[in-house]
Amino acid sequence: MKQAVRDQLGRIIATALLAAIVWAWFWRPPFSWTFGVLVVIGTVGAGIADGRYALRRIAGVIPVLVGVSFVVFALMASLPGDPAINILGPAATADQIAIVRTELGLDEPFFNRYGNWLGGVLTGDLGTSIVLREDVADGISRSMTPTLQIMAYSVVLALGFAIPLGIWAGYRQGTKTDGTINNVMLGFLATPNFVLAVMLVLFFAIGGLSVAGNEIGFRALPAARYVPLGEDVVLHFKHMLLPSLALAMGQAAVFMRLLRSDMIATLRLPFIDLARSKGLPTRRILWRHALRPSSFTLLTVVGLTVGLLIGGALIIEFIFTIPGVGAYIFLGVTQRDFIAVQGGVLVISTLYIVVLTMSDFLYLALDPRLRGREVGARA
Amino acid sequence: MRKRLGFFFWLAVVYLVVLAVAAVFADVLPIKDPAETFPGTSKQGPSLSHWFGNDGVGRDVFSRVIYGAQVSLVISTVGTLLALIIGGLLGMVSGYYSSRVDRWLTATLNASLVIPPLILFLALVLFLDGEAKRRIFILVFTFVLLSIAPIARVVRAATLSWAGQDFVLAARTLGARDGRVLFREILPNVAPSFVSYSLIIMAGLIVVEGSVAFLGLSVPPPTPTWGDMINKGRTNLDVAAHISLMPAIVMFVTVLALNFVGDKLQQYFEPRESVL
Repeated sequence: MKQAVRDQLGRIIATALLAAIVWAWFWRPPFSWTFGVLVVIGTVGAGIADGRYALRRIAGVIPVLVGVSFVVFALMASLPGDPAINILGPAATADQIAIVRTELGLDEPFFNRYGNWLGGVLTGDLGTSIVLREDVADGISRSMTPTLQIMAYSVVLALGFAIPLGIWAGYRQGTKTDGTINNVMLGFLATPNFVLAVMLVLFFAIGGLSVAGNEIGFRALPAARYVPLGEDVVLHFKHMLLPSLALAMGQAAVFMRLLRSDMIATLRLPFIDLARSKGLPTRRILWRHALRPSSFTLLTVVGLTVGLLIGGALIIEFIFTIPGVGAYIFLGVTQRDFIAVQGGVLVISTLYIVVLTMSDFLYLALDPRLRGREVGARA
Repeated sequence: MRKRLGFFFWLAVVYLVVLAVAAVFADVLPIKDPAETFPGTSKQGPSLSHWFGNDGVGRDVFSRVIYGAQVSLVISTVGTLLALIIGGLLGMVSGYYSSRVDRWLTATLNASLVIPPLILFLALVLFLDGEAKRRIFILVFTFVLLSIAPIARVVRAATLSWAGQDFVLAARTLGARDGRVLFREILPNVAPSFVSYSLIIMAGLIVVEGSVAFLGLSVPPPTPTWGDMINKGRTNLDVAAHISLMPAIVMFVTVLALNFVGDKLQQYFEPRESVL
């Protein structure tokens, strides 16, 4: 028992450590302060017996982060055309170009530039956007809020659809109910999220199709725009419902199918028979006994799909004119603002890696059978 | 009992074949020119002369959908084929050779999954000029990059399970070289699982291409693409929803059909409950 508590603590601390890193990246408190927090958390984490695995895992994450930063930087550095000319326009004189080049540090050798940039990144300085003339870290942390909101809402919505449906379809395996649920979800799986978004706007925001003078649809929800949570809570959720739903349904289908097949496997195990022979009601068996051992794959995949959600969030933000990170990067791409794109891609990839690592920890916390063993699933 | 694929499987196959044939032979088929504007037909709904109606400037939506299929199908097919060859090879090598090779390959492949697809694509789009040819090249390149890792994973898992079988051991005892064992003994057994999986990958690529086109970053305008048509139709969504709706439906049905065929094939070859 005591060992288990210590295991959990180690993991919680390791997760907190990762969260602190991300937080430092997005919200940029003074560097020394962040560093202090990291040292404290790290020492406490290492002091707890089985936090060792967690710390080792984090140590494994660092080279990946460095690799990603290098790839992103190299990609942007090898863009065709002179960024200085991109900034100044074709009419620039040689003197102006030279000034801008020194300002951007473009005359230095590649590895010096990478070193400078990485040093800046570590202290939370992602450079100044070329087009917006604004600090990139500020721009990203501002746009992060709507994106994280959409992603969180859609994961919640997706799980809200997937868990009951998955349990029910797994319990009723092979029946008509199962078949219907499966086919409907396969339909959602095949609907690209931007198509679903356009359909949702059509049927819930602007009145739908008019057939022989009758409207088939509603005008209940707003079609676009973003309202911050702090401004008006009701309006915020009204505006977020359609975008989140558009993003959620595809995920719900994936989650549901996974949960269903794991449920089927779990329901064949002897302990379910035992629970049944004790006379427990079906609902309790399904939700309390069968759900937990069936949810491990689901959990990992929830972590993995965050990457998809970020990509999806981009297009959803575009459709619903929400000023999120996707929109920020998209603007950067269309205006050839490579500093903004570079920063955005780096932050999003970091976020993704951190979420993946955290879902591994969660996996361990949920499945006692894996503890003490090296989890090689995605090391 | 003989396994059956069912009616809907064949329906989906027929649909896909018809779509592919229509796209390939679009130039010889008696359909309208996708660039021609028919005066006075702007935003008109579906009719006998224009099956899917007309778009905002009076072009025939039906023929634009058919021509749009060319882009989607070519890019996704080429992308999937290349990814299948590269990813399949990597997966088989990784699953067949033990420890070190496997560990390195798996680590590299996992690292490549770290950048979210659409974001990676956007970063690559910065490379582009307006040239259509180069854009197709970049699209295909990105798509291959995106699909190698998932394919390699599936193939690796399948190879792992076959490599331990007695007949493989027998072949090796008889002195067969690794190459022969891989291609003559293991490949035929692994092939079904990755052929069916590749259809699902292909459906995914059509969606990504659609998303990219929707953002206006796929093949540039005179060439019709589904994503672009859906996006442009949004301005008239309240008065003429069919402009967006028609390409959206065709895209939906295509992706559904590919997923369905892939799913069924997987169940057919591998009766155990398939995940994802």
